[in-house]
Amino acid sequence: MKTGSLRILFAAVLLAVTALAAVGFFADRVERALQGERAAALAADLVAEQGEPIPQAWIARAQSLGLATSRQVTFPSVLFLQGQPRLVQVKAVDASYPLRGRLRVGRPDGSESGEPPRPGEAVVEARIARWLGEQTEVPLGRLKLRLAGRLLEEPDVGASLFRLAPRLLINRADVDASGLLGPASRAHFRLLVAGEARQIASFRQWLGSRLNADGRLLGVEDGRPELNTAIERARRFLGLAALCASLLAGVAILLAARDYLARSLDEAAILRTLGMTSRQLLWRYLRRLIGIGLAAGLLGCVAGLVLQQALVHWLGGEMGQALPPPGWAPLPVALGHAAVLLLGFALPSLWQIRRVPPLRVLRRDLDPPGVSQLALGGAALVAYLLLIFWQVNDSKLAFGMTLGVAGVLVVFGVAGWGCLWLLGRRRRAGRLGAGLLGLVRQPGLVLMQLAGFGMGLSLLLLLALVRGDLLDAWQRSLPPDTPNHFLINIQPDEAGELARLLDERQIPSSGLYPTTRGRLLAISGMRVDPADYSDMRARRLASREYSLGFGDRLQGDNRIVAGHWWQPGEAGFSVEEGVAKALGIIIGDELLFEVAGQRLQGPVTSLREVAWDSFNVNFFIQGSQALLDRSEVPYTLLGSIYLGPGQDEVLAILAERFPAVSAIAIGPLLQKVRDIIGRGTRAVEAVFLFTLGAALLVSLAALQLTRAQREREVALMRTLGASRRQVLSALLVEFGGIGVLAGLLSALLAQGLGIWLGQRLFGIVLGPDLWLWLVGLLAGPLLLGGIAWLAGRPLLAMPPLRILR
Amino acid sequence: MLHILRGVDMAVNSGEAVAILGASGSGKSTLLGLLAGLDEPSGGACHLLGQCLNDLDEDGRARLRLARVGFVFQSFQLLAGMSALENVYLPLQLAGRADARGQAIALLEEVGLGHRLHHQPQQLSGGEQQRVAIARAFAGPPQVLFADEPTGNLDQHTGEQIESLLFDLRDRHATALVLVTHEQHLADRCDRILRLDQGRVVA
Repeated sequence: MKTGSLRILFAAVLLAVTALAAVGFFADRVERALQGERAAALAADLVAEQGEPIPQAWIARAQSLGLATSRQVTFPSVLFLQGQPRLVQVKAVDASYPLRGRLRVGRPDGSESGEPPRPGEAVVEARIARWLGEQTEVPLGRLKLRLAGRLLEEPDVGASLFRLAPRLLINRADVDASGLLGPASRAHFRLLVAGEARQIASFRQWLGSRLNADGRLLGVEDGRPELNTAIERARRFLGLAALCASLLAGVAILLAARDYLARSLDEAAILRTLGMTSRQLLWRYLRRLIGIGLAAGLLGCVAGLVLQQALVHWLGGEMGQALPPPGWAPLPVALGHAAVLLLGFALPSLWQIRRVPPLRVLRRDLDPPGVSQLALGGAALVAYLLLIFWQVNDSKLAFGMTLGVAGVLVVFGVAGWGCLWLLGRRRRAGRLGAGLLGLVRQPGLVLMQLAGFGMGLSLLLLLALVRGDLLDAWQRSLPPDTPNHFLINIQPDEAGELARLLDERQIPSSGLYPTTRGRLLAISGMRVDPADYSDMRARRLASREYSLGFGDRLQGDNRIVAGHWWQPGEAGFSVEEGVAKALGIIIGDELLFEVAGQRLQGPVTSLREVAWDSFNVNFFIQGSQALLDRSEVPYTLLGSIYLGPGQDEVLAILAERFPAVSAIAIGPLLQKVRDIIGRGTRAVEAVFLFTLGAALLVSLAALQLTRAQREREVALMRTLGASRRQVLSALLVEFGGIGVLAGLLSALLAQGLGIWLGQRLFGIVLGPDLWLWLVGLLAGPLLLGGIAWLAGRPLLAMPPLRILR
Repeated sequence: MLHILRGVDMAVNSGEAVAILGASGSGKSTLLGLLAGLDEPSGGACHLLGQCLNDLDEDGRARLRLARVGFVFQSFQLLAGMSALENVYLPLQLAGRADARGQAIALLEEVGLGHRLHHQPQQLSGGEQQRVAIARAFAGPPQVLFADEPTGNLDQHTGEQIESLLFDLRDRHATALVLVTHEQHLADRCDRILRLDQGRVVA
C-alpha cells in the first residue's frame, strides 16, 4: 500500500524535474545561440568605434587581457568605372578579420574562401562587380587593386548600418598607400576584440572612460531591444509553463507525503516499541525520501535532456542545426529544484514521524502530535517562493503568480466552504443521497481535493488562455504594415521635402524625429562614472552614448509610468523606465549631456514604458522640442517607414535625391521576432503537456490519500446491498460534484487572472472567453469523474469480506 | 492451496438462531462470509434465501442482501463522517424506501439512541456504536442476520447489554440469526450450536 504513495512521490519529482530540465536546457541553448548570433553580427564580442585611429594602448591592453584583436577602418570613396563616378563604402580589414561569424568570398575560379583580402587585393559586392564587367583591376585612389573575388557574406554588415553604397573590402595595409584618408576624412576606425566573457567585461570597463566624445562601444548585450523583448517574452512564457507543472507536482508531493506518513505510522510505532530513537526513525524514512529525490531527479534530468532535443526537432530542423549542443548549466538548477520541492512539500509531513507514540501499537487511533498547519503551509510557501523567483527571475511575474496562487486558494476555500454549508443544511433535513453525503461528511478532505485539483485546472485554463488569446493578441500587435525600414541621417533642411515624397507615394511612416548622439555627463550635478555602478547593465548604460530623440508627441506605443508628459514649450527629458531604474534616475533629476562638444541640460519630467517590439522609432531618452530649440546642438532626423512589395524603387529615389540619407532594412529583424513568437508559442504548447500530467498526478495523489477508507466504504455499501450502479453513481456524484465546482471556479479565476496578466504584463486587453467556461465546466467533472470511475471499478469486483477484514 | 473449510454441510431454517463456535483460526468468520455471500467459495455451493449464491455475480449477491440480510461486525464498521442517523438510513435509502429518515429515527429510538441521532461514530462509545450497527442491521427488517463476534470489542457489562438487545430484536422480528462467537454463554442463547475445529464441523 505504501508503494502507491511512493510511486506518486517519485512520479511527481520526475515530472517536475523533467519539465524544468527540458525548459532549462532548451532556453540555455537558445540563449547561447543568440549570444553567438549577436557576436557574429558584430564579427566580434565587443567593438570600439570612433572617428580617430585606434590608439596602440588599447590594442596592447586588449592583448594583455588575452583577447584576440582585429582593426578595421571604413570610409566612403568614389570609383571611376566605365567613365562614371561610383560611390562605394570601403572597409579595410586585417588578416584576423572576422573574429566571430563568417566571411564568405567567391573566388574568380568558382571556389569559396573565408579569407579576408591580402595586401594588393580587393573583394567587391555584386553591384561593383557588375560595374567592373570584365575588368580585373579595381582603381582605388592611387592604387590599382587586383580583384580577388566577390563578397558573398559579410558578418558585421549591420554594424555600419544599411549602406546605399556597395561594399569594397580591402586590406588595412593598403589604406595609407591609397592616399584616400586625410585628416578631414569621414572615416570610422574600429577595434574588434573577442575572448572570455570576464576579460571582455574588464576591457569594456577600462575602455569606457577612454572613448572620445564621438566614440561608441558595441557589445553582444547591446543587441536590438526589439529582439531582446521578443526573446524575453518567449522565455517568460516557457518559465511560466514549466513553473505551473512544477507547482502542481509540489501539491502532488504534499498529498503523497501525507499518505506515505499515514501508512508508515503503524510500522514506525512498532519500531519505536522495539527501541528505535526518534532520530533513527526519521533517518530511516528520510533516507527513502532522499533516495527517491535523487533517483527521480537524475532520471528527470536525462528525460529533460531527451525531451528538449525532441522539442528542438519538433520546432524545426533548421533551428536544431543553429543551436549549440546542450550545456551542463541547467543540470544543478533542475536537481536543486527537486531538492527544494521535496524539502518544502514532503519533509514537513515526514517530520511528524519522529513523534509517533509507541502506544499506537495498542491503540491505532493515536497519531503523532501534528506539525502545525502553519509550519506545513510555511514550508510549502518558502519552497514555492524560492522556486518561483529562481525560475522566472522576474519579480513582477513572480508577484503576479503568487497573488494568483493565493487568490486560487482563498477563492476555492471560501466558495467550497459555502457550498458545503448549503449541502449541510439539506443534510439536516435528511435529503442527501449517498454521493452528496460523501461530499459533506469530510469537508476538510473535500476542500483539499477541491483546492488541489482546482488549482491544477485553473493553471491549465490560464495557460490555455495565455497560450491562445494572449499570444494571438500579441501577434496581432505586430500588424502587417509594421515599419520595415528606418531612415536615418536626414538633414533638417531635407526633412520637408522627404516628408512630401513619402506623402506623395502614400508610404506609411512614423513621422520624422530630430535626433543626436550624446554622452550622459551628470545626473543632478553628480558626475556619471561607470565605476560607481555595481550592476553590469548600469555600467554599460553609464558608459554608452545615447541616441537622444526630440519631439512633443508621445508615441502611441509609449506609456507614461511616472511624472507627466511635457506641455509645448516646456523643456524636459523623458527616460525609459528600465534605464532610469538602472542608473537611479528619478523625476526631477537634472540630466547633463555632452553633444558634439556642447552641453545640453534639462529636468526629467517623466518615465516611460516602451514597447520595443512595435518597430516604431523609439528612444531610451527623449527630450522636448523646446529643449532642442533652446540649444545649439547639431542634429539630424530619423523615421521609420513601411515599404510594401514593389515599392523598393523608393529606396533608389531616396538614394538619388537624398544621398546622405541611409535606409536600414529591418525586415529580416521583424521576421526574426515573428519567428521567435511563433516558435515560442509552440514550445509553450509542448511544456503545457507537463502541466496536464501534473494536474492528473494531483488528483491521483488525492485519491491515494483516501484509498483505504474508500475501499472499506465501498465494501460496506456492497455488504448492505448497494448495487454497482449505486456505488459508482455515489462516487461519480461525489467526485463530479467536486469537479463541477472546481471547473466553475477555475474558469472564473483563469478568466480574471488572464485579463489581469494581459493588461499588467503584456499590455493587451482581453475579453471574456466562452470556450474557457465551457472547457472548465466539462473538464472538471469529466476528469475527476473519470478518475473516480477508474479507481472505483476494481473495488467493485472484489468480494466485500476481503476488504472488511 | 490452503483449505480453510472442509466438508461443511449445514442449513439454517427460517427464524432459527445458529451459533458457530470455535477457536481463533478455526474458519468460523470465513464460513459466515460465505453464507452471507460476502466471499466466494473455491468449491462447494451456498444457498441464501432460496438462491444459489454461486450462480450470482457480485451485483446479484448485493441485490439479494439489500434490505433482506443484516450484519453486525465485531469492529462495528460504521461509516466515518456520517452521523448515527445517516449510518442507519443509508441501507433504507439504497433500497429506495419512502420514509427512510423516519424509519431510521424509529430504529435508533428502539435501540435507545434517540438522543444521539446526529453524533458521529467517533463521538460515541463502543457500546453505542454497536447499538447503531444493530439498528442499521434491523433496518430492512432482515430475514437473516449475520453477526460476527458482536460483543468481542466490548467490556463484559456492555457486552451483555448488546447481547440482550440483539436477541430481543431478533425475537421481535423473527429473524434467522447466524452468530459467530468463541464465547460459550452467547452460543448457548441460540437454538443450535455448530462447532468448528480447523475448518471441520465437529459437533
